[in-house]
Amino acid sequence: MTASPNNGNNNQRMHVLLIEDAPSDAEIEVAELRRGGFDVTADVVDTGDQVRAHLGKNSYDVILADYSLPNFRCMDTLDILREKNQTIPMILVTGALNSETAVECVKQGAVDYVLKDNLGRLVQCVRRALEDTRLRKERTRAQEQLALKVDELARSNCDLEQFAYVASHDLQEPLRMVAAYTQLLSERYRGKLDSAADRYIAYAVEGATRMQALLEDLLAFSRIGRNGVTPAPTDVNTAVEEVLRNLAFTLKEHSVTIICNPLPTILADRFQLVQLFQNLIGNAIKFRGKATPSIAISADKLGEEWVFSIVDNGIGIAAEHKEFIFKIFQRLHTRAEYPGNGVGLAICKKIVEQNGGRIWVDSELGRGSNFRFTFPAASADRASKKEEYELSPQNLVSR
Amino acid sequence: MNSVPKILLVDDNPADANLTCEVLATSEHPAQVSTVQDGEQAMMFLHRVGQFTEASRPDLIILDLNLPGKDGRTVLAEVKADPKLNELPVVIFTTSHSPRDIARCYELGANSYVSKPGNLGQFFSAVRSIENFWFHFASLPN
Repeated sequence: MTASPNNGNNNQRMHVLLIEDAPSDAEIEVAELRRGGFDVTADVVDTGDQVRAHLGKNSYDVILADYSLPNFRCMDTLDILREKNQTIPMILVTGALNSETAVECVKQGAVDYVLKDNLGRLVQCVRRALEDTRLRKERTRAQEQLALKVDELARSNCDLEQFAYVASHDLQEPLRMVAAYTQLLSERYRGKLDSAADRYIAYAVEGATRMQALLEDLLAFSRIGRNGVTPAPTDVNTAVEEVLRNLAFTLKEHSVTIICNPLPTILADRFQLVQLFQNLIGNAIKFRGKATPSIAISADKLGEEWVFSIVDNGIGIAAEHKEFIFKIFQRLHTRAEYPGNGVGLAICKKIVEQNGGRIWVDSELGRGSNFRFTFPAASADRASKKEEYELSPQNLVSR
Repeated sequence: MNSVPKILLVDDNPADANLTCEVLATSEHPAQVSTVQDGEQAMMFLHRVGQFTEASRPDLIILDLNLPGKDGRTVLAEVKADPKLNELPVVIFTTSHSPRDIARCYELGANSYVSKPGNLGQFFSAVRSIENFWFHFASLPN
C-alpha cells in the first residue's frame, strides 16, 4: 500500500470527479473525504463538455455530482459513462432533493445520494460505492473467465473429437493393407515356412484384425452426434421391437425371456435410441449368469424426466467398477471370457448425455444388474404411454 | 460370354490393385485386367490415346474414387457423359463408406457401388461377386 504524501497514514488513494459549480462546496466535500481517511485528488467541473473531456482523459474511482447545476443536467453523466463504456459509481451530493426525485435518480443509475447539510454520510456512501464497484468488477471478471474456459473446453472437446474421427478414419486405410496382406501371407504360406513363422504371422493377423475392430468402434463412438441427429417424437416401444428383431438370433440361442412394460414416446433420434437399447440388451445377454437370461425393460416418469430401467439376472458388477464400465475401451474381462472392445457402454453414455440425461447402474456382483438412464420428458410424450403393449410375434421370445 | 472378358481397373493403391488382380486371376475363366493408377490415364485408356493406342475397349470398369489428380468421381462423370462410353458398366470399388459419395456416384450413373471390405475373405468375395455378377449373370451391351 502506498503511503499518502499528505499525512503519512495508509490512506486509500482516490481520484474523484466533482461535478459542482460552487467551489466552496467542492472544497468541503474533498475535506470531508480526507477526514474519512481517503487520499483524495479531485477534478472539479460544471459543464457537460468538461465532464466528457475529463472522463475521456482520466480514470476516476467515483463521481460526486451536484443535482442542481445551472449549465448541466447531472444525470446526463450516466449517458456519457455508458457511451464511453465506463462503470464509475456516481453519488449525488445536493442541497435539496425530494425523495421522489432521489428514488428516480437511483433507478436511472446513480448509486446513492447525500444531502449537503448531512455530509457526514458522504464517506460511508463512497466506501460502499467503491466496495460495490470492486465486487461487481470482480464478478464480471470471474464470469468472463468462466465463459472463456467454457469456450476453451468446448473447442478442445471439439478438436479432440475431430482428431479421434480423422485419426481413426485415416488409420483404417493403411491398416486394411496390413491386415489383408498378413492374412494373405497366412493363407498362402502356412506350413511352408517354419512353425515360428506361422505363429508370428498369426500374431500379426490377430493384432491387425483387433486394431481394425478398435478403430471401427472408435469411429462409431466419435460419429455419435456428428452427422446431425434429428430428435423427433419416437415411440420407444417400436425402437425396442426393432432391437429385439435385430437380436432375434441371440435371444433364441440363449432362450432369453424379455418382459417389456409399456414404454413412452420421447424426443430422440430413433437410430440412437435403437443403438442405446441394443447395446444394453446385448450386454445383458452377453454377461448372463448360469440361469436362463431374463431381462425386464420399463420406464417411470419422475418429475420432468423418464427413468428407463433394464434389469437382468446376469453376472452383475462390483461396486468399484460401476463408473469405470462407462469409459471407452475399459473392460473388466479378458477377450477370451467375453469378446468386445469396451465401447458399447461408452456409446450409451454419450447418447444419453447428448440428450440431456444420465446413465448409471445398480448392481451387485453375482446378483444381476439394473442399468438405468434418463431422458427428458418431452412435450411430445404427454399421455402417450400406451395402455396395452402387445408383443408382436417377432419379438416374442421363448419363455 | 465367349471371348475373354476385359476389365479396366483404376486404382492408385498397388496393394489393392494387386489383391483385386489376384482374385480375378484365380477365376475359372480369368478376365483380362488392365490396371491404371489415376483418372487421367483411365480416360486416355478409354479414348485410346497416348501410350494406350493399342488398348481395347473394356467390358467393365472397376473404379476407385480417391485417385491423385483427376479423381474417380470426375472419371465417372466423364464416362457417363460421353455417348461413346456411357454404356460401359462402371463399378465403384472404394474405401469410402460415405453416404454422400454413394448418393453422388449413383446420381452420376454408377452401375453399382461396393465398399472395399477390411477383411481379406470379404475382400475376395466382393471382387468375386463383382466378376460373377457382371460376367456370368448380367447381359452386357455388344
